[in-house]
Amino acid sequence: MEVSKLPISATQRGKLISAGYTSLSSICSASSSDISRDLKISETEAVEILKVASNSWCQSILNCTQTAWDMLQEEQESLARITTSCADLDNILGGGIGCREVTEIGGVPGIGKTQLGIQLAVNVQIPVEFGGLGGKAIYIDTEGSFMVERALQIAEACVEDMLEYNRFLRNDCQVKTQPKDILENIFYFRICSYTEQSAVINYLDKFVSEHKDVKVVIIDSIAFHFRHGFVDLALRTRVLSGIALKLMNLAKKFSLAVRTI
Amino acid sequence: MEQTISTHIHLAPILFWSLMGTPMTPQNLLDNPLTTEKCTVGCPIIDRCLGGGIPCNSITELVAESGSGKTQFCLQLTLSAQLPSSHGGLSASSLYLHTEFPFPMRRLHQLSHTFRPSNDHNPCDYVFVQSVHSVDQLLDIMPKIESFIKNSSNSRLPIRLIVIDSIAALFRSDFDNTMDDLKKRSFLFFKISGMLKAMAVGFGLAVLVTNQVVDLMEPNEGVNGLRVGNLGCLYSSGRPICPALGIAWANCVNSRLFLSRNEDFVVRENQMVNGGVGGSGSEDFVCRRTRRSLHVVFAPHLADTSCEFEITREGVFGFER
Repeated sequence: MEVSKLPISATQRGKLISAGYTSLSSICSASSSDISRDLKISETEAVEILKVASNSWCQSILNCTQTAWDMLQEEQESLARITTSCADLDNILGGGIGCREVTEIGGVPGIGKTQLGIQLAVNVQIPVEFGGLGGKAIYIDTEGSFMVERALQIAEACVEDMLEYNRFLRNDCQVKTQPKDILENIFYFRICSYTEQSAVINYLDKFVSEHKDVKVVIIDSIAFHFRHGFVDLALRTRVLSGIALKLMNLAKKFSLAVRTI
Repeated sequence: MEQTISTHIHLAPILFWSLMGTPMTPQNLLDNPLTTEKCTVGCPIIDRCLGGGIPCNSITELVAESGSGKTQFCLQLTLSAQLPSSHGGLSASSLYLHTEFPFPMRRLHQLSHTFRPSNDHNPCDYVFVQSVHSVDQLLDIMPKIESFIKNSSNSRLPIRLIVIDSIAALFRSDFDNTMDDLKKRSFLFFKISGMLKAMAVGFGLAVLVTNQVVDLMEPNEGVNGLRVGNLGCLYSSGRPICPALGIAWANCVNSRLFLSRNEDFVVRENQMVNGGVGGSGSEDFVCRRTRRSLHVVFAPHLADTSCEFEITREGVFGFER
């Protein structure tokens, strides 16, 4: 709700906006004496405005809340999941890696974290007709373990799987996707320092709003650059939790799956 | 004069981005060739096992106990890197940082007879050798190495390969076994590998690092009971071993290769030469034969494969079983 819709007189509204009070929150955070001084009105009039504003502000916040039931409904209806192509793993995960969530995958070197990352970047592109999301992927590589030939192998296998699926169900939908198209739809960033990493994560918001069909962001790995270059561990924790918060916001806003390795 | 100015203007955005790091635009994966460039190790059988050789843009680690052929492998790689790309090489010079023995110059010279890319130059001229004695020295010379590589990019064979033989020798001598020192040590692992990876991406380098092994005392698998990579436990000379420098360093490399050696005792009964005289004319021969093999412990682009190889005067060569 904006100032222009407040149930107050037009002159008061004009004064508020010209004094810079453009949002409800800015009015509610000011005191009545501030308002009376800035708008050059009497104190009682300012108290009156403040009362109206805070009332409608509370209303607008209450309107935004959801009950737990609503949230459950919403989750069951619209929470898309990206399959890992492994039935057992999907079972454990409840159908795959969930959108709107930040998922972390940990493990010793060589266990297959990167393989799972590449697999998801490919699987997110399975078209809707085949039970996929038909989205695109962002791959942020900090370690340099992303190998194009491996991505191509996985993409080829994915296309083969779709053809098999077609034959099995005698489906009529055509497999139009080529392995090369799959590679083209992975936005690949190679990161060489933690400053670059923070910059790219800050930039993601803009990038994703320009590329609406991005459904998964994969960061492989979040830790590498933070394990050197930081002497001050408290600072490191602050920067990392800042990144975590940004990723969570991003996931919610654009309903995409963020996966850190 | 005008020419130089115009080239400078043309280079300005590139310089800007190289100073600012990666531009904020994603790379199109189709712009580059669909396979990562590899550097042949000079033997088709080992190359096949490694999917073409040692990959560029990432760090490959070679783990083995002493006397398994790590250094042989590295020396051979510095020579095969000079081969033109039609022969699987990078047509590049290499930088060899050695920390252990005096540099095995004579062996390199011997190998250079096998790997002579062309007759007009001596392959040894294109292997730059630098000794490193401590971690601090390595950190000190890192910027110099970077500018050295940058300067070499206009020469006939630019540097595209860095070998560090061995990283373990640096770290195993300088640090105590205290909590504080170990923390500092793993901090330095990530710092050095971060620098190496940045250079590897910036200049398209192949980086090969060798590592020593430690004996495994506990009966369980791997470091602290954690299994790293395809092989649950590495065996060499009949003993269970694991790579030195622990799990922190294992996080710093992209691929890990393991060379094992095992002595086979082949008992061959000698045929009686002098028929029937004396009775005990037969004598048992004990032949010792070293079986060496190469395993892929983990690599983002390779499955669990292995092959056997032998080291001869001419170099390191794989053979089919």
